Amino acid sequence: MTSNHPKSDQPAKAIHPVAYFLGFFLVFGLVQLAFPAKKADQPVKAPAQAAATAESAQAARPAPTPVSPTAQLLLEAARAVPPTPPKPDPQPLVAKAPAPAPVPAPAAQPAPAPEAAKAPPAPAFPKAVLSASGEPDYGKALWNPLHFKPAIDTATNDQCLACHQEVLEPSVRAASPAGVKSADTLAWYQTLDTYIGAQDSFHRRHLSTPMAERLMNLQCNFCHQGSNPREEAPVPPTATNAGYTLRKQVNPETTCLACHGQFPWQNMEGLPGPWHEARESFESADAPNGCLSCHNPEGGFRTERHKVSYLKAEAIEQAATENADTCYGCHGGRAWYRISFPYPRHPWPGMPEDTPDWAKGRPTSSDPRYALPKN
Amino acid sequence: MEEEKKARVQVAVAARKREGYTPVVPDTQLGFVHNNVDCIGCRACEIACKDKNGLPPGPRFRRVMYVEGGRYPEVFAYKVNMSCNHCAEPACLPTCPTGAIFKRTKDGIVDIDSSLCIGCRRCEAACPFGAPQFDPISNTVMKCNLCVDEIDAGRKPYCVMGCMMRVLDVGPIDKIRDGSYATKAVGPGERVVRQVRNMADPELTNPSVAFVAHPKGRVEG
Repeated sequence: MTSNHPKSDQPAKAIHPVAYFLGFFLVFGLVQLAFPAKKADQPVKAPAQAAATAESAQAARPAPTPVSPTAQLLLEAARAVPPTPPKPDPQPLVAKAPAPAPVPAPAAQPAPAPEAAKAPPAPAFPKAVLSASGEPDYGKALWNPLHFKPAIDTATNDQCLACHQEVLEPSVRAASPAGVKSADTLAWYQTLDTYIGAQDSFHRRHLSTPMAERLMNLQCNFCHQGSNPREEAPVPPTATNAGYTLRKQVNPETTCLACHGQFPWQNMEGLPGPWHEARESFESADAPNGCLSCHNPEGGFRTERHKVSYLKAEAIEQAATENADTCYGCHGGRAWYRISFPYPRHPWPGMPEDTPDWAKGRPTSSDPRYALPKN
Repeated sequence: MEEEKKARVQVAVAARKREGYTPVVPDTQLGFVHNNVDCIGCRACEIACKDKNGLPPGPRFRRVMYVEGGRYPEVFAYKVNMSCNHCAEPACLPTCPTGAIFKRTKDGIVDIDSSLCIGCRRCEAACPFGAPQFDPISNTVMKCNLCVDEIDAGRKPYCVMGCMMRVLDVGPIDKIRDGSYATKAVGPGERVVRQVRNMADPELTNPSVAFVAHPKGRVEG
C-alpha cells in the first residue's frame, strides 16, 4: 500500500494515551491559575465598590428567573406590604392600618452586598402562606383556614390586611380610557348630601373614608364570611349547604342588602309615595330630617335601631339630626337591589299586637353575631 | 355677568340634588337557559367566550361550576354554568358613576363600555352573581355583553354556539320560563327554575337566567 504522506514511509511513533490525559490536566491547571474563578468567600469589598460591582453585575444579568403569574402577584403585593407592626390596640383598625412603607428591594433580586445577602429577609407574609423555600405560595394562601369557617368568623382586620393591604390603597383611575375624568363624574346616589369626597373604591368607601369611620364599624368578615373563593365543589363533597355562594365571595343578601335595599314606603302608613317624592311634606328648616318626625321617642316607631356591632348607633343618631340624607342614604338612597332588607322588628312601646303581613316571620332581635355586649 | 353665572351654577347644583334611579324596562328580555344535568363541564363555552373577547388569563365572563357531593352510594355531580345574567333590574347599573353600564331597551342586554370605566369596582361588589370581571392590567371592569354584535347580526352568542352538548341556549326569558321557547337545552318533560342551590336570591335583581336543575340542586318545590 502506498501513501502520499511525506512521512508515511517513516515508522509511526505511538503516543501513550496516558500522555493525553496528563497534558489535558496540565493545560486545565494553567488556565485555572491564570483565570481564577470568583468565589463567595472572597474578601468583602468596600460598600461603594460592592455596590458598583452589584450594579455592573445586574446590568449584565439576563432576565430574572421566571415566576408564575400568581407568585408574581404575591411578590408585587409583598413589595407594597410592610411588616405587620405589633398590634397596640385590639379595636378595629381601619384607621390604624400600617402606613405604606418604602418599597423594599424586590425579593427576586440579589442583595447588593454580601453582608446584606446574609441578613434574614423581612417577613412580608404570615408564615402560613409561605412555601418551604420561603416564597409566597398562592395555593397555600388560597386554602388557608382563615378564608373559611369557622376561623374567618373570628378573623381580625389585621390578619386580613397582612396580605390584602392593597384594598385600602387608592386605586380609582384619574380618567377612564376614553378620557372621562373621575372628578367630573357623579352618580345619582352621589347627589345626596352625605356623599362627599372624590370617587373611590368600594373597599375604601366602606372602611376608611370619613363617613365610614364616623358611622360604621365594618370589619372585613362582615362581608367576607367564608364563602367559596372557587367555583367548584366543596372539599370534601357535602350534601348540605356549605355556605358557599356560586361564583361570589360575598352573599349580598345578608350583607350589602342591609344598606343597599329599597325604601319600603308601601309598608308605611301615612306615606303617599317614595321618600324622594314625599319627603318635602315631612321636612322643614327646623326639622331637616323628615324621618325623625315619626321615628322618635314620642312618635314611637322603631326606636331601637342601629344597635349592632357593625354600626355606630350614637353617631348615626347624631348625624341624623344634622343631615336630612343620613337616614335615606342607607334606606333607599343608594339602593342597588330591588327588595328591602328584612330588618329585625324590635318591639317598641305601644307596638300593635297584630303583626302586619309584610313583617311576619321577621326576627324580633338583631343577629346574635352582631349583638353588642350588654352593660 | 358673574352673578348670572353664579345663579346658573346654583340652579344646576340644585337640579343635581337627590336624583333618583328608574330601572329600564326592556321591550324583550333575553336570557340564558342551562341544563345543569346534561352539561358535561367541558368548558368549551368558557373558552369560546375568552377567545371571542380576547380575555387574558384571569377574567372569565362565563364560568362552569362543578358541584359534587353525597356519600357512597348516593353521590351526585352536576354543573352550574353562569355568566352575566342580564338582570331585569341589575345591581351593577345603578352603582356606576360614569354611565359606563347600560341596559338596552330593545332586548334587555346589560352592556358595559369599558372605555368609560374608572375602575371603582362598585359594580363588581354589587353584582350577586360575580359577573363583572376586573382586569388589573387596564384597571377597568369588563363583563359579558351577550355577544351583542352577534345578537344584532341575528346569531347566538359564542358560548351558545360553542356548546357541543347543546345544554346552553339563549332566548326570550319569559318564553324560556313558560316552556314556549323551542330549545334543545330543555328536554321533554323537564322544567326550568330561577334558582339553584347556593345561588344568590333571584329576588335581588331578577336575573334573566333559567336552569334545568339537578335534583340535588333544587331550591324550589
